Amino acid sequence: MAAVELIEIEKAFGATSVVKKLSLTVREGELVALLGPSGCGKTTTLRMIAGLERPDRGVVKLGGQLVDDGRAFVAPERRGLGMVFQSYAIWPHKSVFENVAYPLQLKGASNVEAAVKEALGWVRLEAYLHRRPHELSGGQLQRVALARALVGQPKVLLLDEPLSNLDVALREELRGEIASLRAKLGTTMILVTHDQAEALALADQVAVMNKGVIEQLAAPDVVYREPATPFVAGFVGGANVLVGEVQGTSFISEGVSFALPAGTVAPPGPHTLVVRSEDVVLGAEGPLLPLQARLFMGSATEYRLGLGDSVVRAVGSALSHARPGQLTPVSFRSVRLYAP
Amino acid sequence: MKRLIPAALGALLVATVFVPLGLLLSRSGGPGEWLEAWRSAESRHALAGTLLTSAGAALVALGLGLPFAWLIVRTDVVARGALKTVVTLPSAIPPYLWTMGWIALANPKSGWLTLLVGRDRLDVYGSAGIAFVLGTSALPLVVLATAAALERIDPALEEAARLSGATAWETFRHVTLPLIAPAMLSGAALVFVFASASFGVPYLLGVPANPPAPTLTTRIYAEVLMGESGLSRAASSSVQLLLVAVGVLSINAWLARAGRVRLPRGKGLGAKVSALGRSRGLISALAWTTVLLVILLPLGAVFLTGLQPTWGQWGSFTLKHWGVVLQPRTVAAAGVSVLLAAGAALLVGAVGLLIALSRRRWLETLADAPSAIPGTVLALALLVAFSRDLRFIAFERVAFVLALGNTVWLLLLSYVVKHLALGVRSASDALAQADPTLAEAARLSGAGPLRAFVDGVLPQVRGALVGAVLLTFFTCVSELTMSVLLIPTGGDVLGTLLFELQSYADPASAAVIASALLLIVLAALVLQNLATRRAEAR
Ligand SMILES: Nc1ncnc2c1ncn2[C@@H]1O[C@H](COP(=O)(O)OP(=O)(O)OP(=O)(O)O)[C@@H](O)[C@H]1O
Ligand SMILES: [Mg+2]
Repeated sequence: MAAVELIEIEKAFGATSVVKKLSLTVREGELVALLGPSGCGKTTTLRMIAGLERPDRGVVKLGGQLVDDGRAFVAPERRGLGMVFQSYAIWPHKSVFENVAYPLQLKGASNVEAAVKEALGWVRLEAYLHRRPHELSGGQLQRVALARALVGQPKVLLLDEPLSNLDVALREELRGEIASLRAKLGTTMILVTHDQAEALALADQVAVMNKGVIEQLAAPDVVYREPATPFVAGFVGGANVLVGEVQGTSFISEGVSFALPAGTVAPPGPHTLVVRSEDVVLGAEGPLLPLQARLFMGSATEYRLGLGDSVVRAVGSALSHARPGQLTPVSFRSVRLYAP
Repeated sequence: MKRLIPAALGALLVATVFVPLGLLLSRSGGPGEWLEAWRSAESRHALAGTLLTSAGAALVALGLGLPFAWLIVRTDVVARGALKTVVTLPSAIPPYLWTMGWIALANPKSGWLTLLVGRDRLDVYGSAGIAFVLGTSALPLVVLATAAALERIDPALEEAARLSGATAWETFRHVTLPLIAPAMLSGAALVFVFASASFGVPYLLGVPANPPAPTLTTRIYAEVLMGESGLSRAASSSVQLLLVAVGVLSINAWLARAGRVRLPRGKGLGAKVSALGRSRGLISALAWTTVLLVILLPLGAVFLTGLQPTWGQWGSFTLKHWGVVLQPRTVAAAGVSVLLAAGAALLVGAVGLLIALSRRRWLETLADAPSAIPGTVLALALLVAFSRDLRFIAFERVAFVLALGNTVWLLLLSYVVKHLALGVRSASDALAQADPTLAEAARLSGAGPLRAFVDGVLPQVRGALVGAVLLTFFTCVSELTMSVLLIPTGGDVLGTLLFELQSYADPASAAVIASALLLIVLAALVLQNLATRRAEAR
């Protein structure tokens, strides 16, 4: 059974439509990542699942049960969800223990103390039971938020950019923590993020959002290898997205003609061409583009070449002699073409 | 200069506030006399009256202030902006004006509301009435503090509670209320101090009450009227009043430090307004009825009182009382009030700016302190200190006499020191926010220090300073508490004239003058609103 089901939900704030006819099904035990650029409607979607925002149209179901269809509405506190907020939302007037105990106290659970200690054990914060929030670091607060969201053992856990306020090392650590907690508790999770590495590393399914719609919903490797749209290719793979026209076996963009790799078939006419930076070959053949910058990035070097007003990025180890300003032959090893 | 001006200002403050306070203290005798005073039933009665009415006022302000702050910040109540304006209106209107309105509405014999519910069923005289009127006229203190706290709460804190299983009401009780409580309580403490220091309201409502409901301020006034013999008893009541004010303010400051909860900011979307839904009409009607009844009705009653042929006769109207505004005595009192208030306001602005510019903490603290001293105590201290002429001999030959006692200069002095904190605080807040580089840029472009100040700094603090000057003017032009003690024999200011007409002779004329005053204050409010809006637009 689907743990979460959104059917053509829509939401507008004033005149701006933020979520457009969005449908999404999350199976039980699955972790789905909502991935997209800032302002694309990820948080709004999550809040509609939580009941903190009401869709203008469409249906929200949890565990097969209807919770919002515009008329019937189940209040957030009765949906049995857990949520971790981007700003942590740890109550400053309660201690760590009181924060985590609160959901249990509302339920009138017995043995609150043992349950709180167990939940704090999951996030390795047992020692901080009686601290006040202002005595904790950002990473510790984030873990308290996780423990508080999980202590009532919710069916579904909603995470709104839970790691974005943390430094790189802490982010890696908490990412591992979320993965192991999921393995331990089997909770269904929906993770909002604009960090593709986070989405790809954690999720069973990645929903790539753009301007209020899901452009692709698929497993991480599929999203990475077979992006459904140029936007997905550009956002997830960091690929080059060129707008132009297919003429015979060439692709013309910004007045420059590139030879299409052998085996690429496409009807003539306007297309969007997507080529990964590791598939851009420099210094062999093809049209000459000016090298604008060379960025040494450790394991590889990124080259930026000017193409009209835009930039073609190439990643490789060759061409160590190339200097900025130099004209460099550019060709593509493999490309994907999308009809407009 | 840089050393001289702060030192001179400090010395002046010490001489005009702290030395007189010391004299007052010594006048009240030592701990032995205080204990003696404490044994007298009358003295205890007055202290109990002050504590009771002040606590009552704080409760009234809390009880009304919290729901209104909530409605204004968090809901889509009908005409939200207008509601906020009306609820914060009392801060601009002297409390004894409400009292006059309430006397017309709810005196036990002929009040308009009393007649609606039945004779003797409603009685505004007595402690309950005092607490109610003081509480409503101090309502903005609680509303503004609470509203600011409500706006600062990260909405996610409340949403997290909902997701934890709390209903909207549980969320309010367990999360919102504890988070806004410090701000609310500190607002309530200010109401308490304001109420304990007020004189007009407890005098008009407490003295005629049956049995009389004395407070420290009204008792001090009565003792001063007795002349020299009452003065030391008045001084000892003053000590009690001062202790009440300082005690409550220090408890409040201590609580604020101890219980400080950092309110993390939300993600920038600001307070979340929730729809009242189906109950919107009902709640809005309730809120507006309350506002009408508690705030607008008494003001209306003041106007109507001035229009009735005989007092307590509702329904027919006349303009015959309005002649009073042109009587020589009224004109003279208004003239003195306006001159004094204008002088005080300008001095508060200028001295406040000088003190803020000196950037000396000790001087700011010194200038801040008198605002916490109840007006009655401050006035009595000045009275005690300057009742005798002071002789100074300078350079061994020029002797001059400082005879402030029984002159309007003492009144001016009291207005200035009492409101100086307003000028200092607004100037130093504005200076703290001002961009110092503008003055530096002016210096670099070749301006002298004075020119750089005028061109670079003054424009940035002008708005705040003008606000402080206007506020001081309007508080002083209708000031009563200190004026009643310091007014020269035979003279009048608007406050004392109104007070005399209302309590002894002619409530209808009092109502007319009050109406005129109200009209001026309202007009000034509108003007000030327009000015701030223009300043904000820039
Ligand atoms: N309460 C609101 N009122 C008005 N506009 C809103 C509100 N909430 C969100 N928006 C707007 O809706 C759009 C989508 O917002 P949302 O918070 O869902 O984006 P997001 O994908 O979570 O972005 P981010 O990665 O920056 O958090 C934004 O343009 C935002 O400004
Ligand atoms: Mg977001």
